[in-house]
Amino acid sequence: MHSRSSPHVVVVGAGIVGAAAAFFLEAAGARVTLVEAEAPAAGATGASDGAVSVASKRPGPMMALALEARAFYRELAARGVLEGLFHPRSTFLLARGDEEASLLERHGADLAAAGERVVARSAVDLRRLLPGLGASVTAGIEVPDDGHAIGYEITARFLARSRPALRRATPVRALKLRGDRVAGVVTAQGEIAADRVIVAAGIGSAVLIGLGDVLVPRKGQMAVTDRAQPSGPAIGGHLMAATYLAAKRGISLDKPHIGLVIDPLVTGQFLIGGSREENRSDRRTDAATIAAILREALDFYPPLAGRRVIRTFAGIRTACRDGLPIVGPHPAVDGLVVATGFEGDGICLGPLMGACAARLALGEAPATDVSVLSPRRFAVREVAQ
Amino acid sequence: MSDAPVLVVGAGPAGLGAALALAQAGVPVVLTEQRDAIGGAIHRQPASPQVPKVLRPARHARSFAMLAAGLAAAGGRIDLRTSTVFLGLDGADNALIDDRRRQRVEALSPAGIILATGAVEKVHPFPGWELPGVMTAGGAQVLLKETGRAPDGPVLVAGSGPLLLAVAAQLAAAGNPPVAVLERGRPWRRPTALAAMLASPANVAEGVGYAARLLRHGVPYVTGAAVTAVRTQGDDLDVMVRHGAAERTYRVRHLLVHDGLRAGASTGITETRDGPVPVLLAGDGREILGADAAVADGRRAAAEMLALLGRGAASAGDEQTLGAARRFQAALARLCEAPPPSPPPETLVCRCEGLRVADLDHLRPDASMRELRLVGRFGMGPCQGRFCGASVAALRPDADPSLKASAVPRWPVRPVSLASLAGFGDPAARTNPRIHQDTEDR
Repeated sequence: MHSRSSPHVVVVGAGIVGAAAAFFLEAAGARVTLVEAEAPAAGATGASDGAVSVASKRPGPMMALALEARAFYRELAARGVLEGLFHPRSTFLLARGDEEASLLERHGADLAAAGERVVARSAVDLRRLLPGLGASVTAGIEVPDDGHAIGYEITARFLARSRPALRRATPVRALKLRGDRVAGVVTAQGEIAADRVIVAAGIGSAVLIGLGDVLVPRKGQMAVTDRAQPSGPAIGGHLMAATYLAAKRGISLDKPHIGLVIDPLVTGQFLIGGSREENRSDRRTDAATIAAILREALDFYPPLAGRRVIRTFAGIRTACRDGLPIVGPHPAVDGLVVATGFEGDGICLGPLMGACAARLALGEAPATDVSVLSPRRFAVREVAQ
Repeated sequence: MSDAPVLVVGAGPAGLGAALALAQAGVPVVLTEQRDAIGGAIHRQPASPQVPKVLRPARHARSFAMLAAGLAAAGGRIDLRTSTVFLGLDGADNALIDDRRRQRVEALSPAGIILATGAVEKVHPFPGWELPGVMTAGGAQVLLKETGRAPDGPVLVAGSGPLLLAVAAQLAAAGNPPVAVLERGRPWRRPTALAAMLASPANVAEGVGYAARLLRHGVPYVTGAAVTAVRTQGDDLDVMVRHGAAERTYRVRHLLVHDGLRAGASTGITETRDGPVPVLLAGDGREILGADAAVADGRRAAAEMLALLGRGAASAGDEQTLGAARRFQAALARLCEAPPPSPPPETLVCRCEGLRVADLDHLRPDASMRELRLVGRFGMGPCQGRFCGASVAALRPDADPSLKASAVPRWPVRPVSLASLAGFGDPAARTNPRIHQDTEDR
């Protein structure tokens, strides 16, 4: 299957990006070792909502990338790779009051300008489409072409379809360099030699790639309910508060720390999130934050009062200081490719960014222009070795 | 030293034993109980005075009477909260409790926590265990205590352990002796274990009493017999049983199953002595030692908690009782030791998510517990693995336990009404002041 000359690539991190990179590397003929500190999808990938959403993106490069990334999901689903795991659905962005409605109007215009289908919805429309919607919702926009995917399912599928050598519970402590070229990784269990290395280790990437304080953890707490019905999404789309957008667009409204999303899962359950807690990297949840999220959720969708919360959890988003992910060849080390900093957009962007990182690691130009995400925009301090 | 109370969770024998000992030492106690009355599973009280009493040893009634009297005498030092469910410790070190009567979730800031939530009944899965008409023997016993009524129609009791005998005798006393008691183990072939049990005469006498009752009613006690599958047959069940090389089918209305008790699974919370809030376990939830020893173990946990809080030295007064109970339980375990038949692919494992052995077989052979849960969805339903976790672990003995299902302690450890939780408005603002301010104006 592999020729003797096929390069050996070590991918650090078995989240959705690392697993996708491994899949596309194998497909391109490389030998891959996937080195994971814990277990596949143990980080943000396994602790996030499943929005494959253009609707939620900031205008500019993120919106453009999300459009391509979502199309890539559709393509992979059609090709069979992600068959059965990508579920098309609408996103409803919801406003409470005039201030939020005008924010949505602006956002809708930005989406339309980027080529996205957008339908303005009156309060009456919304109540027809989403029976039970709260009285405080005054207007909204529907983005019909979004979708849903579960991060850990996508990760597991990529791993099942490519079967890279997978090293669980193997934290990478440093990179091994030969001159200014990467030669492998140093783990707690010894060195692993490599021709190329992709670092897709979320917040754990920072120390490895010498981009010190460029990456910051941003914790998000979420709750999962029991089933509202035996299976299938219990409401006709993904609900997202305008305040969530405000937080993403850097606009300060009155509740910037909670960006409410109500994610109807294919199991008939609801996933409700989430908080945005700067510089918090612990994964515990607290009742005060969860209760604040749930109060918001009840205001938007009162029928949730009949549900039970069966689980709460927190994920750590890896946020980049300038708000853009970091994807590209390392500025100071040859053969090293970085793919991290996806914050809350990793599930949406993950497969595409993994594919791009794979091409870059093989010295090829990716199908999507990701030069705007290049780590060259930051000054490198020191690479751990 | 602050006057913060110690939270004792569960008002069964261990919880009552702990609460009384703490109160006696002058420490305020909040005692929560998820049911509407104290007693736990062992001392479950009849739903009404008309309900006939269930057959049980007199010493249980005496023990319960003493605990109840102690509670009454403790007066205000023990704040008993019934219909209140412990939800766990959150990231701000709040002990969260769900007052189901008032539909409110509250936070306590206890000096320490003693969890006395009892054991979970083990049931090794076999095809059909989830069918209507199949219930756990312990569940049936609790129902019998509450209603005085045995399950109707022909009943078969099967599995492993001494509870089978007790439940069968109680069913007989309540007017519906079971068709048979099927014990998977072969106790008669373990004479040393039998001999070791004679050191606990009260327990042996209890067992002999049950056996005599079954003998009087002509209930066969079959050893070395295991249920292999159950099928619905109209309103009845066909229970397939393997007895040595022979197979036989019992047609019954109800099948009561039980494979012993498991400690620790009830909340999934482990003991911590050095955290900001020490957590200790007591009673059968810590170690299966039985109802008599549970009271002593509650006192032992209370003494250790007092020592941790600098309010006294841990006393060893109950060690003898606990040691004897431990030897008795070890002998019992040897007596009935017999591996269950390995479940075929169609066997349901995770009831909440409807997952079978075959679904587990489809997952990567090298998957960690975390992947079995996340990708396989084993334990992702309302029980959060409390019931299926052990079955999954038994079927996947090589799954890396260091990569366990969750990275951090989780709450709620029981499902909680979303509306009740949303109403949580404790001054836990210290952990997240911005959120608290913003939510107060709502």
